[in-house]
Amino acid sequence: MDANKTLDTRGMACPMPIIKTKKAMDELEAGQVLLVIADDPGAKEDFPAWCEQTGNKLVKMEEKDDDIYIYIEKGV
Amino acid sequence: MADEKKKKKIAIVVSENSLDKAMMPMILATSGIALDAEVHVFFTFWGLMLLKKNYKPKLKGMMKPFTGMMIKKMKEQNVATFQELREQCVELGAKFYACSTSMAMMGVKEEDLIDGVEIAGATKFLKLAMDADVTMFI
Repeated sequence: MDANKTLDTRGMACPMPIIKTKKAMDELEAGQVLLVIADDPGAKEDFPAWCEQTGNKLVKMEEKDDDIYIYIEKGV
Repeated sequence: MADEKKKKKIAIVVSENSLDKAMMPMILATSGIALDAEVHVFFTFWGLMLLKKNYKPKLKGMMKPFTGMMIKKMKEQNVATFQELREQCVELGAKFYACSTSMAMMGVKEEDLIDGVEIAGATKFLKLAMDADVTMFI
């Protein structure tokens, strides 16, 4: 899957991955996709909750080794 | 996005200044803003210290000597420091209030506080809390 922008948050602990994601998302246009790579174990629950509350679409979330790849489409 | 619906409002009271209780409101405030909420944090009693410029919170009581160890552990785990999170809060637009009575009691002056802090009383906080979706006491 193609992303318009990639944000690597590996090594960061809560709440930094979400804060960086919010800032990155603010720079995208509706319909564009942000790929977030995270290794914080809380990310699996945090990102779906964040997307639901902020009106962004969680397109796909997949685990690769110890990392989680999260594709988020910016909502309108 | 969240502009169409009414923004959620979070109101937090912070009454302590130990390292653990200092980190919590900063983490919750930054996360709250990331969730498109409006975040208001009222600092009272010892909590007021957290608004002082260059303030470095320590563990309290018997745990105090372990402050350095805790900070080292947090650094190893890449947890942002108290100062970094506090800066994020201000940058992201969390509203900070200093309790006016606590300031008088503890001899803290406006110029001792970081920029952007509003001085207010309990009534202002309660009004915010009455309209809030989430209220927390730390």
